[in-house]
Amino acid sequence: MLVYDYLLQSANKYPEKPVVFHGNKSLTYHELSSLVRSQASWLISQKFDAGFRCGILTDDPFEYISAYFAIQLAGGIVVGLNTQTSERSLKTLLTDSRISVVFAQKKFHRYLAPFASQLPSLKLIVSDEEFSCNGATSIWMDRQVILKTDLQITDFPVVKPDDIAQIIYTSGTTGSPKGVMLRHANLVANTSSIITYLKLTENDKVMAVLPFFYSYGNSVLLTHIAVGGSLVVNQNFLYPNVILDEMLEREVTGFSGVPSTFALLLNRSAINKYHFPKLRYLTQAGAAMSPKLAGQLQKVFPEAEIFVMYGQTEASARLSYLPPEDLERKMGSIGRAIPGVTLKLLDRDGRSVADGETGEIVAVGDNIMAGYWERRPETDQVLREEGLWTGDLARRDHEGYFYIVSRKSDMIKSGSHRIAPKEIEEIIHEHEAVHEVAVLGVEDEILGETIKACVVLKPGVTCLPKELLLHCRRNLPAFKVPHRIVFFDELPKTATGKIIKRQLMADG
Amino acid sequence: MNQTISKIRSFIFENFLFDADESALGNNDSFLEQGIIDSTGILELVDWLEETFTIKVLDEELIPENLDSVTKLADFIGKKSC
Repeated sequence: MLVYDYLLQSANKYPEKPVVFHGNKSLTYHELSSLVRSQASWLISQKFDAGFRCGILTDDPFEYISAYFAIQLAGGIVVGLNTQTSERSLKTLLTDSRISVVFAQKKFHRYLAPFASQLPSLKLIVSDEEFSCNGATSIWMDRQVILKTDLQITDFPVVKPDDIAQIIYTSGTTGSPKGVMLRHANLVANTSSIITYLKLTENDKVMAVLPFFYSYGNSVLLTHIAVGGSLVVNQNFLYPNVILDEMLEREVTGFSGVPSTFALLLNRSAINKYHFPKLRYLTQAGAAMSPKLAGQLQKVFPEAEIFVMYGQTEASARLSYLPPEDLERKMGSIGRAIPGVTLKLLDRDGRSVADGETGEIVAVGDNIMAGYWERRPETDQVLREEGLWTGDLARRDHEGYFYIVSRKSDMIKSGSHRIAPKEIEEIIHEHEAVHEVAVLGVEDEILGETIKACVVLKPGVTCLPKELLLHCRRNLPAFKVPHRIVFFDELPKTATGKIIKRQLMADG
Repeated sequence: MNQTISKIRSFIFENFLFDADESALGNNDSFLEQGIIDSTGILELVDWLEETFTIKVLDEELIPENLDSVTKLADFIGKKSC
């Protein structure tokens, strides 16, 4: 079984059924598979090497999903690119993955144009509208021409379950992003497990608000296509009331979010005035659910079952889930391993810890990644004999339910993003006025955490927070720009010179 | 009205567009379509509206028809201030 088989099988079974709704448009399984075949045929005609990397940079779900399956059908590796980006971030990712082609929407051309012709690996930009780089358009391939051309290719490349299907970039603790390599077999194993515990069927229709380029959104996409279900896509969470209207109008049966999604819905929308009789499940990943949030959600969605889930991109998405019937009894837990996964709790030396004691979660299963793209040392650090060392410290109760205690990394979780403080620190440090900087997450009711930068300026230099924000804005995607910049005379440090971030957090 | 529009534009440029020139935002441009404001930004915008114009934005009023461009915001403030 390969990832694209899900689409081909569902298209065969439910050709006339709508698979994706977006705005007032929709696409049937048959229409989607036609788009996939024409784009895959064109990619094959370009004769790229097997396992070529192909980026997708679009917020149009029809374009994203059709390109996603086309790339894999053509024997390529999907690299879903974050649409909240900057020229610098994009250049880093495209260079690192040595990408051959990017499917890019017009609105993102401005990020690619300054450097596209300088990347030796990058051969083509596929777009509905002309892409120009230093006045030249030779790198542009018109997507509409691809869709209209029938290349009659029947000889598709042989792809094996152990081949890499997708690379998902995650924030690395060192500051530079790491590409998580997921095999077809990894994604298939995880998809099948999620379908089992969520009891998904072809009658399910999910409200997809999470971006597909992250692993959570990717799993929502694959699971619903695998069962022949439908996705109602609106990934702009700017106006939650619009999402609620769509949920009602399209009679969605499922909704997947992170804690900030639910916080926004509960605090910044008219959700109490709505009733969703068709909604049968809610999923939350990214953190355990607080008793307060669980109570509020159960009140506004009385018919829906609430699944709290835990996972990592390195595990294709999911590692554990808390069954809805245990939500109240095991409040604060991330549940137990999903089908096909074994979770262990080990101490630093790889020895099992007893129930009630704290250890690191180590996972074994067919969903575990192949490794980080061209990063052997980092791969060896987390993929060891015992399994995937998650970096998450937890305890387990006598019934086998896990509770996260803390994380080993100081990654900031803001909205649906995981952000490495180091990356922001490096950018701020590049500013000529800055002597020293520490970036950290500060608790926030809606976002989970907001980003605070604590800055020490060079002696005798003056600089306004606005100037540093402008510098960040020019070099970082919007979601990584600090919400607050605070100046200090000096930063608190340990005897060995390490900045004590905990103390800076206490300062608010 | 012109004064309100000018205040809104200043806020948007100062907080979301930074060093962009005036032509980067038309008064009828959609914040959503242009990707100018994200979900955090809209919360900041609402807090600013409530504080600056001493109005209360109700949950059901958080819709694009009221908030999604400079002109829509100015109209909304006008209606709320009556």
